[in-house]
Amino acid sequence: MANRARGRTGKGAPAEEASAMKKVKEWSNWTLKKAKVVVHYGFIPMVIIIGMNSDPKPQLYQLLTPV
Amino acid sequence: MASTTVKTEQHDQPPKEKVVEKVDYLNLPCPIPYEEIHREALMSLKPDVFEGFRFEFNKGLSPQFALTHSVSMGVTEIPSQSPETIKIPTAQYEFGANFMDPKLMLLGRVLTDGRLNARVKWDFTDNFSLKANALLVNEPHMSHGMFNFDYKGTDYRAQFQMGNGALFGANYIQSVSPHLSLGGEVFWAGQHRKSGIGYAARYNTDKMVATGQVASTGMVALGYVHKVSEKVKKFDFVHCLVWDFYDEFLRPFFKLQVSLASDFMYNYMSRDVTASAGYDYILRQARLRGKIDSNGCVSAFLEERLNMGLNFILSAELDHSKKDYKFGFGLTVGQ
Repeated sequence: MANRARGRTGKGAPAEEASAMKKVKEWSNWTLKKAKVVVHYGFIPMVIIIGMNSDPKPQLYQLLTPV
Repeated sequence: MASTTVKTEQHDQPPKEKVVEKVDYLNLPCPIPYEEIHREALMSLKPDVFEGFRFEFNKGLSPQFALTHSVSMGVTEIPSQSPETIKIPTAQYEFGANFMDPKLMLLGRVLTDGRLNARVKWDFTDNFSLKANALLVNEPHMSHGMFNFDYKGTDYRAQFQMGNGALFGANYIQSVSPHLSLGGEVFWAGQHRKSGIGYAARYNTDKMVATGQVASTGMVALGYVHKVSEKVKKFDFVHCLVWDFYDEFLRPFFKLQVSLASDFMYNYMSRDVTASAGYDYILRQARLRGKIDSNGCVSAFLEERLNMGLNFILSAELDHSKKDYKFGFGLTVGQ
């Protein structure tokens, strides 16, 4: 096992770097996908929450009634 | 009697001549942002023409926070290869929330099919600001997003842009004299393996704005906007009562501001030329914009204020070369 590991170190360094880059790319893709879903569902609620806490603080019923 | 004589003296005085100042090149004004360099020409010549019916209700919950509900029924066009445009009738409802603070602006709009249009502008210091713009859809790989970092200096502005699909861009604009500003931009699109460079210049005085932009993508755009402001002619009234009546009630109806705009777009790669000329009448209760194009397209857009908070919109676009006629009307209710 150790021999196999040591035997691989010659070709291992560039392959490891390539797989490290792949891992970074995969991880950034995963975070971007999750961030996209979060922004898609959460942006408007976030704006509403920030707006409801601005002063003068509006009442909750004003959010729903047309007038 | 004394008041009458004073009034006529004031109206008879010739306008004061502008004092010609020596140009202080170390104290030039800050130029407008690079992406808004054609702002006046775009505002006058490219109003938001639409087809069908549009209703918009803007409800303000606080001076900074507002909700908008918008219904539109009309047709959307699908770009097609055949000369006929394919139109599909659609109806949609759009809900929006805006938060406007002097330092932070958040704008979000969501449609019934799940598309979200989000804009954020955050000034975290006096000179730095961050802008983000995103259009997110439910289908994968069809969403766009773009971040801009702006720096505003004393007489220059610099901006760095980052977008999805490995799109990077930077632009810089500098005031060279009190009237002239020059700028340039570079961009690199990783996904399409394209890069480009462009230059822009803008010359403006109180009465006119002339802009020019050239890009390595083949685009050449020139624009010219001239402001003509009509003042009411002075009459010699004998009684100051009649003059007061005129001044108070009739003068506002005659005061209007007219902008005449013309635009020239040329693409030297595809040899496509478009020239357009138009006008923009800003009256007290209405705003009328009309334009005629070298592609045989005539369009007009009228926004009229019927009452406080009630606006009526009429839009028409006649494309004689493609035989495509679009008419729309709408109502905007907002406090």
